[in-house]
Amino acid sequence: MTSRSLGQFYPVASPVHDLDPRAKILATAVFVVGLFLIDSTVGLLFVAAALVALVTMSRIPAGTFLLLLRPVLFIVALTVLFQVLFSREGVTLAEWGFFEIRSGGLSLGFFLALRILLLVSSAGLLTATTAPVALADGIEDLLSPLKRVRFPAHEVAMMMTIALRFIPTLGKEAEKIKGAQAARGADFSEGGPLRRARSLVPLLVPLTVGAFRRADELAEAMESRGYRGGEGRTRYRELRFRKRDALALAVTALVLLVGILL
Amino acid sequence: MRLELRDVRYVYAPGTPFEVEALRGVSLVVEPGEVLGIVGGTGSGKSTLVQHMNLLLTPTGGEVLVDGVDATTLKKSELRRRVGLVFQFPESALFAPTVEEDVAFAPRQLGLDEEEVQERVLESLRALEAGELAARSPFALSGGEKRRAAIAGVLAMKPEVLVLDEPTAGLDPATREDLLALILGLRNAGISVVLVSHDLDEVAEVADRVCALQEGRVRAIGTPAEVFYREPAQAPATVRVASLLRESKPEIGAPVRFAETLDALRALQGA
Repeated sequence: MTSRSLGQFYPVASPVHDLDPRAKILATAVFVVGLFLIDSTVGLLFVAAALVALVTMSRIPAGTFLLLLRPVLFIVALTVLFQVLFSREGVTLAEWGFFEIRSGGLSLGFFLALRILLLVSSAGLLTATTAPVALADGIEDLLSPLKRVRFPAHEVAMMMTIALRFIPTLGKEAEKIKGAQAARGADFSEGGPLRRARSLVPLLVPLTVGAFRRADELAEAMESRGYRGGEGRTRYRELRFRKRDALALAVTALVLLVGILL
Repeated sequence: MRLELRDVRYVYAPGTPFEVEALRGVSLVVEPGEVLGIVGGTGSGKSTLVQHMNLLLTPTGGEVLVDGVDATTLKKSELRRRVGLVFQFPESALFAPTVEEDVAFAPRQLGLDEEEVQERVLESLRALEAGELAARSPFALSGGEKRRAAIAGVLAMKPEVLVLDEPTAGLDPATREDLLALILGLRNAGISVVLVSHDLDEVAEVADRVCALQEGRVRAIGTPAEVFYREPAQAPATVRVASLLRESKPEIGAPVRFAETLDALRALQGA
């Protein structure tokens, strides 16, 4: 079993999970654009407080949510390091040979780190509180105006759903093949970078072959159940944009607006 | 070699909401040169169990002993050579451009010289009646041929214990018969074989001893007759027939193999 990672759906019942996926997608878009318009640390902190409140409402345990952020910590650390070491603004706080740490670098580093974390958290909250199928439905619906210019909105959304659905499947398959090759004496952790890259061949070739085989099988299974694309297709679950969805979107916009003004 | 599992426990994803207790204290011995059949329903822990035999999975409790020595103290590469594990659907791990090169993968990993590698490749392919496949691409073979090539890839390590997880699943009857014959041939050459299977009839044909798993525990272990006659309702067809006749004709005894059962029935008819 693979560990939970960024973007994995966390199925619990909460007001955030319950929102219309379109409202959540739009709110996330507003949030992300707004983040880049905020130029003060106070503004970011205000938005961060609002996001913390939202995560609490989503009933995702704080520990689990922080785990979602783990993959980006490296980028965050790198950003802070560069700002701190190479910024030439503000008062010098410490010197060490060629490097000097200045107050300007520290505050800019903090600002950028906060921005990246908020960016990833908002996207993470969207995918953690929205089932992949609902997400795809939402995207399809939001893209549907483009159908008039012959943009295949349904097909794009279906491709996304399938891609998301097969991540854990391929993960399991990779574990299995890794085990089978390890039983034949493969070692994926020994030697220099070149040897390690070469040792991945016995893993990647069967994985790729398997992915193609699965794609074929899935296509056949879909066709045998009468799937022929989005045209004339009806839905079992209709999306309903309710008052509270509009409210959620409005509150998000308001929070970002306050953040920008602060 | 004698492979012993002592009170082996295994928990998947411990400490998370996805925690599953797959093995709840399994003890068994694979004696030198025997065929041990492992049977049990889906989810009984068969596949988890066999991955402990070469420590692909490390038990969360209990221990694995190789000739009385704690297996965790042995070199992993050495242990995996001595205990050859063939996964379920092993053909999904074929990767090389030709069957020959794929089978050569394991012996090359062992660092053998090229002459020895070639010799082993031919020998293992011949053992699986797949000699003529050597130069072909593994991806262009039939299901049965792929299976044979993949098993040859493990056999080429010359393991002392060969563990086969559902090796006959989805095979045509002829390939299945060949594989069962190979298992008996290996046993006669002194190699222990662990055969995991859903198919009780085939286990009845080749196993010297049978271990029945249920919900991560050993439900029964012993000779095929001991295990299968305890619960004839969940036994191979031969045992079910014989145990029905036994109600009126106890002299039929406890035959398990097809040929044995046939002989017992003929003896009954003659009497």
